[in-house]
Amino acid sequence: MSLYNFKKIAVVPTAKDFIDIMLSRTQRRTPTVIHKHYKISRIRSFYMRKVKYSQQNFFDRLSQILTEFPKLDDVHPFYADLMNVLYDKDHYKLALGQLNTAKQLIVNVSRDYLRLLKYGDSLYRCKQLKRAALGRMATIMKRQGANLTYLEQVRQHLARLPSIDPYTRTIIICGFPNVGKSSFINKITRADVEVQPYAFTTKSLYVGHTDYKYLRWQVIDTPGILDHSLEERNVIEMQAVTALAHLRACVLYVLDLSEQCGHLLDEQVKLFESIKPLFANKPLIVVANKTDIVKLEELTPERRALLKELEEDPEIPLLEMSTVTDYGVMEVKSQACEKLLSYRVNQKMRTKKVDGILNRLHVALPEARDDKIRPPCIPESVLLKKQQTAEKRKRKLERDIELEEGDDYMLDLKKHYVEIPEDERYDIVPEIWEGHNIADYIDPEIFDKLEELEKEEELRDASGMYVAPKIELDETLKEIKALAIKIREKKFILKDEARINKQSTKPKLPRTAAAKGRNRSVTRLRTQMSELGVDMSDTAGAHFTRTKSRGRSAGPVAKRMKMDATDPRSASKNRSVSRTPRNELGVRDAVMQRKAHKLAHLAISKKVKKYGLKGEADRFIGNKMPKHLFTGKRGIGKTDRR
Amino acid sequence: MAFRVQFENNNEIGVFSKLTNSYCLVGIGGSENFYSVFQGELAETIPVIHASLAGCRIIGRMSVGNKHGLLVPSSTFDTELQHLRNSLPDKVKLQRIEERLSALGNVIACNDYVALVHPDIDRETEEIIADTLQVEVFRQTIANNVLVGSYSVLSNRGALVHPNTSLSDQQELSTLLQLPLAAGTVNRGSTAVAAGMVVNDWCAFTGMDTTSTELTVIESIFRLNDANPSAIASTMRATLIESMT
Repeated sequence: MSLYNFKKIAVVPTAKDFIDIMLSRTQRRTPTVIHKHYKISRIRSFYMRKVKYSQQNFFDRLSQILTEFPKLDDVHPFYADLMNVLYDKDHYKLALGQLNTAKQLIVNVSRDYLRLLKYGDSLYRCKQLKRAALGRMATIMKRQGANLTYLEQVRQHLARLPSIDPYTRTIIICGFPNVGKSSFINKITRADVEVQPYAFTTKSLYVGHTDYKYLRWQVIDTPGILDHSLEERNVIEMQAVTALAHLRACVLYVLDLSEQCGHLLDEQVKLFESIKPLFANKPLIVVANKTDIVKLEELTPERRALLKELEEDPEIPLLEMSTVTDYGVMEVKSQACEKLLSYRVNQKMRTKKVDGILNRLHVALPEARDDKIRPPCIPESVLLKKQQTAEKRKRKLERDIELEEGDDYMLDLKKHYVEIPEDERYDIVPEIWEGHNIADYIDPEIFDKLEELEKEEELRDASGMYVAPKIELDETLKEIKALAIKIREKKFILKDEARINKQSTKPKLPRTAAAKGRNRSVTRLRTQMSELGVDMSDTAGAHFTRTKSRGRSAGPVAKRMKMDATDPRSASKNRSVSRTPRNELGVRDAVMQRKAHKLAHLAISKKVKKYGLKGEADRFIGNKMPKHLFTGKRGIGKTDRR
Repeated sequence: MAFRVQFENNNEIGVFSKLTNSYCLVGIGGSENFYSVFQGELAETIPVIHASLAGCRIIGRMSVGNKHGLLVPSSTFDTELQHLRNSLPDKVKLQRIEERLSALGNVIACNDYVALVHPDIDRETEEIIADTLQVEVFRQTIANNVLVGSYSVLSNRGALVHPNTSLSDQQELSTLLQLPLAAGTVNRGSTAVAAGMVVNDWCAFTGMDTTSTELTVIESIFRLNDANPSAIASTMRATLIESMT
């Protein structure tokens, strides 16, 4: 696999998160209980441990960040330069350098405070020293906030960089924007690079892989380059320049003959000349793309003259290609691979590496030592099988037939039926439904019969047989009809309204037995009796008037209310005049009060209906053990006292 | 044709199988996957036989054979010998030999005409080899290794030897064997070529790890496809240099 994988760098937290992580870690990982009557040495060591532990945490995390980020001096110059282009080398180095300083500062702070803690003479002092130490560490980290966010952004970007192996066989595609570089990489690899008809669709490097001659080839698609000086180039272009400058690869310079990319052919040739230094010592191929629009031969003589110099150079082959029609794509690929392969092999042949494997590039052929013939022993059946497979390839395929017949081709399913003689294969099979042959039930004259019937009907229709008699409506009938329509509409609306306005969808508790009204009373008895003619005049003391009254419990004599007898307003003194009753508290006016009362009543009636209560006064406990009252630490105390 | 196979997740398939031009022995494994690869390819032409020797399944390293015969070590059980005799074609001679170097597959490499043997092998054994297998016997080493059976693979059409064999040794071996010969690896760089593959005159089986370059070398040196052995030195030269350095 590739040497460079930046995907494994751990997340860099923001300064705030960093501090939170470190402090909470200290809190979790060190003892938390200390009392002032403990021995002073114990108290000191308790706080020293905290300071030391947090210092170690800060140190470890910062060292991790410093080691995980790639050092620009250690990585391959291609990556170093790419990172310089993308993230600015100075900024990157400064950020890491400052983190390193912060690390040292934290160590110093911890050392100072540990020294001071040795002289702490009480729990309070020790605690304050610890607080100060951790506070200073946190402050140091807080100052690194900008660096940390920058590094996090760098990390995220690095993780998304394509993993380019700078040492392997590489083909780099470059050229003006929109000349068809990405289309080409999409054609020869499975890298799915976005292709759009505007310039700078590709804004960064893309990598794909392709196979040629049993080897794997890395293909790099670069963003387009414009023709201006190096200083004027933007980040997007610089990525392409970096790749061209540092990777020892085969370069494909793509030209757009049709000039649909928006750059004239002479501009494209000029760019080629100006970036030529980047192609030095590399296999190079110039590819003329979009030949589906304009071919090389179809160019006007002036245009052709521009390319003359290129065409005449024996070192640089000029190939035609069209990514739309696939014309020449494979030739470009194979020629590029071939050129790079021979270039790399030549380079390797100069080193000592190849000496070790020379014996493996050799096939020793025997010198005859006797006249004996040693033929191979291959059974007949194997040879026969080989021959058969070769023949099978010659068989006429369905596709060949399709191509032959063109639009007339119909898929013949019955052709290859086995065990049915050829002349019977196309026979029509009777359709059977529930044991009956459907053909038996088909009346061959059914359509004639139908036609006949239809004609008859037409005649009847024409003679006016089906015309419905019109009923004349008089005034009253009309009125009734209109009214009926109105009633129907109203009913419908009422039904709808009732459905919509229904307040609760919950079932009501059915009250099958209505409460009985009072129907026996002395007055009623009197009236009824007198109506019947009974004299009820002197029944004032009669026994039926003495209804059984509820006995009053004979409790202690109630105390008299305390009243100041001297004050004439004594009756209302025990209750402040200014104090409003609770049901009027916060109520603006009578309308609001009425509304509130109505709402309260509604709430009560709802509850009453739902739980089958008798009324407001019926005791109801919704939750017998409210959680907030029954949970919590109890320690040694009782369960109900906290 | 060359096929990639695996024996129970192990790529050293030359250890668990023995392939010749007239029969194929396959070790008894936990499943029939391995056996069936051979069966599918060969069963129509030659018998593909389940076998064990001395209760072991490493039959490729313990036995040696060619079209004419099969030699098994003295530790082979009688029942196993009986089974082999019953399954092998009649014209194949089966012989159990008393030899100190009992891993016959590691000390002997042979095709239908020539055999290379370990320099320390018994004189008696050498005679038995010559008689049973009907071959010329040469005491040889390959790249200073005495285990000629492990570091070379022979068929009647070509030979593949340990990658460290020097050019002069290759020439000498080639003349002895009267075969085109190349140095190479199997299973992504394994030098024990005989342990990583088996071959006869028309097909080869290699471990699953074998790279496409290795497979192409194998196919061309043993002439399994239309390629010529000389392709290794000509058309494949650049690819080989690229993939090996």
